[in-house]
Amino acid sequence: MAKIGSRAYGVLAEFSGTGPLLSAAKKIHEAGYKKYDCHSPFPIHGMDQAMGMKRSPIGYMVGFTGACGLLGMLYLTYWVSVVEYPLVISGKPLFSWQAYVPPVFAITILVSAFMATFGMLVLNKLPRFNHPLFNSESFKRFSDGGFFISLEAGDPKYDEVKVTEFLKSIGATKVEVVTDE
Amino acid sequence: MSSATEHHDPNCLVTGNPTFESITESVSCIPESRTPLAWKIMFSISASLALGLFCLIGYLFWEGVGVWGLNNPVGWGWAIVNFVFWVGIGHAGTLISAILFLLRQRWRTAINRFAEGMTIFAVICALIFPTIHVGRAWVIHWTLPIPNQMGVWPNFRSPLLWDSFAVGTYFICSFLFWYVGLIPDLATLRDRAKTRIRKIIYGLFSLGWRGGNRQWRHYELTYLILAGISTPLVLSVHSIVSTDFATAQVPGWHTTIFPPYFVAGAIFSGFAMVMTLSLIARKVFNLTHIITKKVLERMNMIMLLTGMMVGYAYSMEFFIAWYSGNIYEQFAFVNRAFGPYAWAYWIMISCNVLVPQIFWFKKLRNHLVVMFIASIFINIGMWFERFVIVVTLARDFLPAAWDYYSPTWHDIGLLIGSFGLFFTLFLLFMRFLPIVAMSEVKGILPQADPHKSGEHHG
Amino acid sequence: MQIDLKTYRLTDPGKLGMIALVVGILGLLVSILGFTSDRTQFFYSYLVAFVFWTSIGLGGLFFTMLHHLADAKWSMVLRRISESVMSTLPLMGLFAIPLLFGIHDLYHSSHADVMATDELLKAKEPFLNQAFFIIRTVGYFVIWSLLTFFLFRNSVKQDSVHSDKLTAQWRRVSAPGMILFAVTSTFAAFDWLMSLDPHWYSTIYGVYMFTGGFLAAISFIILSASYQRRQGILKEEITIEHYHDLGKLLFGFLVFWAYMAFSQYFLIWYANIPEETVWFLDRWENAWKSLSLLMIFGHFAFPFLALLTRGAKRSVVWLSVMSCWILFMRWVDIYWLAMPTLHEHGPQFSWIDLSTMCGIGGIFIWYCWRKYTSHPVLPVNDPGLKESLEFVNN
Repeated sequence: MAKIGSRAYGVLAEFSGTGPLLSAAKKIHEAGYKKYDCHSPFPIHGMDQAMGMKRSPIGYMVGFTGACGLLGMLYLTYWVSVVEYPLVISGKPLFSWQAYVPPVFAITILVSAFMATFGMLVLNKLPRFNHPLFNSESFKRFSDGGFFISLEAGDPKYDEVKVTEFLKSIGATKVEVVTDE
Repeated sequence: MSSATEHHDPNCLVTGNPTFESITESVSCIPESRTPLAWKIMFSISASLALGLFCLIGYLFWEGVGVWGLNNPVGWGWAIVNFVFWVGIGHAGTLISAILFLLRQRWRTAINRFAEGMTIFAVICALIFPTIHVGRAWVIHWTLPIPNQMGVWPNFRSPLLWDSFAVGTYFICSFLFWYVGLIPDLATLRDRAKTRIRKIIYGLFSLGWRGGNRQWRHYELTYLILAGISTPLVLSVHSIVSTDFATAQVPGWHTTIFPPYFVAGAIFSGFAMVMTLSLIARKVFNLTHIITKKVLERMNMIMLLTGMMVGYAYSMEFFIAWYSGNIYEQFAFVNRAFGPYAWAYWIMISCNVLVPQIFWFKKLRNHLVVMFIASIFINIGMWFERFVIVVTLARDFLPAAWDYYSPTWHDIGLLIGSFGLFFTLFLLFMRFLPIVAMSEVKGILPQADPHKSGEHHG
Repeated sequence: MQIDLKTYRLTDPGKLGMIALVVGILGLLVSILGFTSDRTQFFYSYLVAFVFWTSIGLGGLFFTMLHHLADAKWSMVLRRISESVMSTLPLMGLFAIPLLFGIHDLYHSSHADVMATDELLKAKEPFLNQAFFIIRTVGYFVIWSLLTFFLFRNSVKQDSVHSDKLTAQWRRVSAPGMILFAVTSTFAAFDWLMSLDPHWYSTIYGVYMFTGGFLAAISFIILSASYQRRQGILKEEITIEHYHDLGKLLFGFLVFWAYMAFSQYFLIWYANIPEETVWFLDRWENAWKSLSLLMIFGHFAFPFLALLTRGAKRSVVWLSVMSCWILFMRWVDIYWLAMPTLHEHGPQFSWIDLSTMCGIGGIFIWYCWRKYTSHPVLPVNDPGLKESLEFVNN
């Protein structure tokens, strides 16, 4: 139960496996909750649909960055070899695009990989070393073999008693209140 | 149960009916337990060798590349042989982590983590050699387009510059891929940590991962994209390495099949190295239920396949050398097979083409000792492949300039030292990080499927 | 077109076979006219059409063997299609016979006076001679036909018998089959196309041809499946997920083809050795240049962008359009490889190009469709079928 003087972050419900978690996620989505999340040791097939989430935008972000990298590097090779430091080497034309394919390709991949990695971290709001969920002792098992649903107090439909009842009715084995402190 | 249904039961991939918790336990206990004596012994040996490597490099900087056995026709000696060898080793890691992932080969989860680790450490070893080979290693940054007061820019038409772009990108991408894969597993170690220092370090590197599906959905797509872009990257890297040779007009080097041939050879040698390492890790850390015989058998099949591809390339080169009607081209190949380096050529053929043939037999590709010995032979053979390509240059167009290349003690020391560095990094990794991708292995357990988990639960 | 959902046999195979047969026969008749009017042009056009359709058949053989070796499940619903595609190989063997009468028209090295004076070609005589050419061509088709017969027979056998032995058997045949396939398809590419220019050589040529052929075979499989879908057949069985995977395969091999093509071009361009560059020069001068540019943009850049997104790979209509385009580009590719030997000053399209393509193609499709419709259209007894039907992409 909540300690005195600390605000409740929300409730944390534990489920017994992937199946119960998935069906609970469907029900909680249908009940109209917004600020909740399903925690599991590995990604669960079909969870995105159950929670009614769209596909991640990372693909487009990476595609755009890759295109910028490609054009940028192509311009750099052009600028260096034709404008700034023109040298004729082995009788090839100054702008020998064929020879620039390897470095342009490498840079395209490089910036795409950076975007994929750091874009993911930004979208996930990571790193974040302190989070109310880490106050829960049982939550530690999410990275082992535990399955949880957390529902935040900030949800417009949040009501501690009702939500606890609801989560129990959709199959939670244990429900606890998580606090900020 | 018929054999076919058994076949796609994921149970085959991880034996012994494990639970999520037992997977966590058997993998996490390795970095959490006391340091085994065997590890300490191995680490001190390899760390001393790595130290030796750095001393030799210091000596090289002081004296110059004259300490190597290079001579006039052979301007590239063991340094480039070792470079290509180590880059090649790295390729299997990316193949396992990226290409097999895209092909939905779920058995890869048992070996992908340390195959990826192997990639990174091999690429570190590889990057050393061209760096010290340039002679003045302190200006190696001149290969990158960095503005400078001399107003000089790099030559983007040079294969050696492509190398620094390609291998550099390869190193960074492999590292990102590896690290992204590690995040959920580092979170596991964080959540299990008992001491303060472990809590801080694993907590720092797991970035506050909470395993929520709102995180997983970005994470999964990122992982897929990284796999998707690593696949063409891995093809390009060894292709670009092959252009170091193939863009030249040197007989035996200039042949159009070089890019795919180098890639196949790289994957072949890398798989042999993964095999060697996983057999050791499996034995030392008791991971027989995760790195199952089934996994090892499939790796042997891939070695058979890639070994055949390499054999195909060898024969194509030979055939086309004859078919070209070019006497220099023909001489280059006859010289390889019957010239002064014939011994190296036949080591290469027997290790790379003949040895993998034993994997046609089910018994042999399931026999641990046999596959261990075979993997070592293949490693040796693939080193000799690069040796043959580089060193048979000793007989070029001018018979008056012909010479015989022999390495010096310094060349040999650098190669041994690079193995020391590789194993030092690898042992550190095995000691402090989860060597099997726990979250991925859990994902392929039968109870991970939400539509079946009811049956298994309870 | 109608299907019996219990046995998965087509009760009414529709008109496709008939139409293809008529087009084929008409095409062949017109081609005979071409033969009498312009013999050399006829043989070149015939060669292009013959290699085009044979490489699709070979791609089908590779698809089937790969499916067996990788123990793939998702592609189980496509197995009958790829098996029917490969079963055309013996038929293509018959189509190779006219080619043997055109050796003199096609291959420079078959001219005795040339061989007598050209030092380089004299050295290649043990390989480049008519008798050996014929033996090899016959040999390829014998090997391909044997593989095809065996794999097809066993697959059909599975419909009536429950046996795990069959699975083990075709895996055991597919492994050495792959080696035979690699060697024969490489030398077939050398023989039929590369030796049109007997001085020129490239070690990657065989792999290049294989990649293009497999790409065309994937396109052909996509079109076969989507044609049936439009007729209301196998709508529930070959789902969008299978198309998505085929789309990924198409995209992957498109990039792989570009990789092979670029490797070949790039290394020859860079080393700049006249005896090699001449081949690309022939294709980069005068009007051939536009065809070379079409190869870069049409065979790579445009389909690459068009198939890049997930949505594109999951749209059956778009995938079919792109498959048609890639098949067309495959034809351009072979035309580009073969024709500069005949028309040095630029491509000259002839009505014989069209009639030979229709002639061989019509018979090819008719035979493929006949094979396909005379058996259940899914491997109904395969234990992996269920998994394939339920398959979902991540």
